[in-house]
Amino acid sequence: MKELQDLARKLLDEGTVKVVIGYEEGARGVRPAFITDAKQAGKLIFDKRCVQNLAAYLNPRRKQVAQLGTPAVVVKGCDARAVAGLIREKQIERDKVVIIAVRCGGVLENSETDSELTSETVSVRCGGCDVREPKLHDYLLGELPPAPPVNNRRVEQIAALEKLSTAERWNFWTEQLSRCIRCHACREACPMCFCVQCTAEKTQPQWIDPSATPRANRAWQTMRVLHQAGRCVDCLECERACPEHIPLGLLARYVADSVERRFDYKACEDPAVAAPMGAYKTDDDEEFIR
Amino acid sequence: MSDEVEHGSDGAWSPKVVAFVCNWCTYTGADLAGTSRLQMAPNVRVIRLTCSSRVNPLFIIKAFERGADGVVVSGCHTGDCHYSTGNYYARRRFAILHDLLEFMGVETNRVTFSWVSASEGNKWQEVVNETTARIKELGPFRTLQGQKGVEL
Amino acid sequence: MTHRFLSHASLTALVAELVAAKTRVIAPVRAQDDPEQVDYRPIQKLEDVALGVRLTRGSLKEFFLPPTEVLLYYKQTKEGVDIREVPTEAPPQVILGSTPCDAAALEVVDKVMGWDYRDELWFGRRAASTIVSLLCTAMDSTCFCTATGLSPDSFRGSDALLVPVEDGYLAHVITPKGEALLQKYAEADECMKASAEVAQGEARQKVEKNLAAIPPEFSAWLAANFDNPIWKTIALRCHGCGACAGVCPTCHCFDIVDEHDTADEGVRRRNWDSCQTSKFTLHASGHNPRQSQSERFRQRIQHKFSIYPSRFAEILCTGCGRCTRACPGGMDLPKLLDELMTLAKSEATGSEPKGSSL
Repeated sequence: MKELQDLARKLLDEGTVKVVIGYEEGARGVRPAFITDAKQAGKLIFDKRCVQNLAAYLNPRRKQVAQLGTPAVVVKGCDARAVAGLIREKQIERDKVVIIAVRCGGVLENSETDSELTSETVSVRCGGCDVREPKLHDYLLGELPPAPPVNNRRVEQIAALEKLSTAERWNFWTEQLSRCIRCHACREACPMCFCVQCTAEKTQPQWIDPSATPRANRAWQTMRVLHQAGRCVDCLECERACPEHIPLGLLARYVADSVERRFDYKACEDPAVAAPMGAYKTDDDEEFIR
Repeated sequence: MSDEVEHGSDGAWSPKVVAFVCNWCTYTGADLAGTSRLQMAPNVRVIRLTCSSRVNPLFIIKAFERGADGVVVSGCHTGDCHYSTGNYYARRRFAILHDLLEFMGVETNRVTFSWVSASEGNKWQEVVNETTARIKELGPFRTLQGQKGVEL
Repeated sequence: MTHRFLSHASLTALVAELVAAKTRVIAPVRAQDDPEQVDYRPIQKLEDVALGVRLTRGSLKEFFLPPTEVLLYYKQTKEGVDIREVPTEAPPQVILGSTPCDAAALEVVDKVMGWDYRDELWFGRRAASTIVSLLCTAMDSTCFCTATGLSPDSFRGSDALLVPVEDGYLAHVITPKGEALLQKYAEADECMKASAEVAQGEARQKVEKNLAAIPPEFSAWLAANFDNPIWKTIALRCHGCGACAGVCPTCHCFDIVDEHDTADEGVRRRNWDSCQTSKFTLHASGHNPRQSQSERFRQRIQHKFSIYPSRFAEILCTGCGRCTRACPGGMDLPKLLDELMTLAKSEATGSEPKGSSL
């Protein structure tokens, strides 16, 4: 992507940024790149294998990245929403990051292969994307590709779960969460999990047992997804990071749908728009309240 | 509260219900129910908080983990919050928690959210009695308590 | 060490006998969430097993050091504190079809588990287990067992090694435990050895391509280069998520916690932990000697390829490649080791190192 490489080179040469966080070719597919030397800008690429949400590296807890200096970050529209979230929640300042947005036509579910984008191979989060031309940017690159195919797998899974009885759903989640080893990779990979001390690490009092028991695992995953309500951008980094392949994306999607249904809010690219859980309307639904 | 199963005087299982109530409205309303000598099921343990928005979903989860069969969360009616806006935020939080618990397989009837004002002693009586009856029907929430992975 | 022939039918019968005797049999099976993937799971019959299809996503570690386990129960009484420790004898289990890298990992970890304090829970499970490995033919580009001194047909840590041949397996019987397990079902080998050797040789060649052998000097070079500037940039993409430690067969760090539902009784547990998490070295004073991910990642490499070798003459890695496969940030261990070894070599020969592509 020459446009991207030239821009990166320019920004580094001018000293506007000290590092360009983008994507490069790795030995096993695309991987995040940290270009600090303008001469290496030719490594930057952008294609349908660029799944990772690079906004995670703007998280101030990433000291080793922050130490490099002012970053530029390559984002797709969905990733830009995470950058907006970090700005909204005062984790980074808008003028301290250069946002290089790229027009995107969808990414692959499995970025290690290089298949065609079809309804089978495309990521579940791409269907119906309304940010193919990201609005939050300092630079906007690339041609607008056609809309991505729709992969209904996750919607179907959620619908199937909703049809089950309460007890069957309980058993489903107990079984899925029994594999959780409490490594917290889901938390570490998530761009919006920036808390220096996570609620799960609190010991006085200890709200969530740290051990990988079915009971504690359920408490952990419930809390994490609740803390993401209205903030999660559905990048699925949590699911990709999970070494036990727990379908965390189902929980993320369900809560995001609940937030949208109840509060007419989807994670958005405008940092000025207040996130729903820190706001209210006097006429919010209270059907469920006696 | 231990997770020992309790039995009423008739030998039948007796539910444990934990109620997180706000100090200004519901607690006062519950007090009114008491001073009015209204008959209420004895199963509800009341925990007083400053406001319904103080209720962290973790309180509810923890209550279930530690032996509660049902949970009540109650505060002021919206517009009447002692801190003006607390219950508006709480309402949003509870809505998402309610949906998520259902999705993860917790019977929504185990958690009761209510707005009970300081003068609604009767309503508190109803909340207590209805909740207790509902939980009695659902049975003990043994599965969660039994999942702490310990053979004793 | 002897070798015999084990037919498919015999192996089926062996598994059936073990299951009937309530011995837990663990083998690779197709994953429920993705049939293209394989995990080690307890099985009921040989047909459930997916042998030699693909490398498992997780290692054997969980069957010897569970992600969480109770160490003792405590209860406060009027007289004092009652403590009940868990038994250290484990029920018998047979691992069937493990990769040689996973079996070898157990022996590597034995060193630290028996070092200054004998971990009876670990050794109890080790004593109760018989491990029958299978020649690995499903290696991919992230494997590098040969670089760590092992091979796809390594005997290390296994009680027997099966090599697929016509109509069954050539069984290398390695230990008395292996002999005891197979003697009823294995027959004398009639000239399968030659074809097995061909398969073994081919497998070795496939892996050797991925990474050159780690030289003995590498451990000392790492120790001497603790402050090398390369550590600042080598792990920028690392999330510090710890997924690598979870899937690694040789990572063994654990945390100990007390958990209680009431004030007077509870359990003490040990849980998997990882040096990649930000709070791993957080002191009670608030000081954290490893403040950034670059320092934590350095620790991972130093521990596995320098500190453990200097203490136990063992690399704390068997080249299984799982860390690279599991990593959401695109970290690539064989590539990384190659870069570090090249850097080490160029410094030794005084030649200019090429710019790091890390």
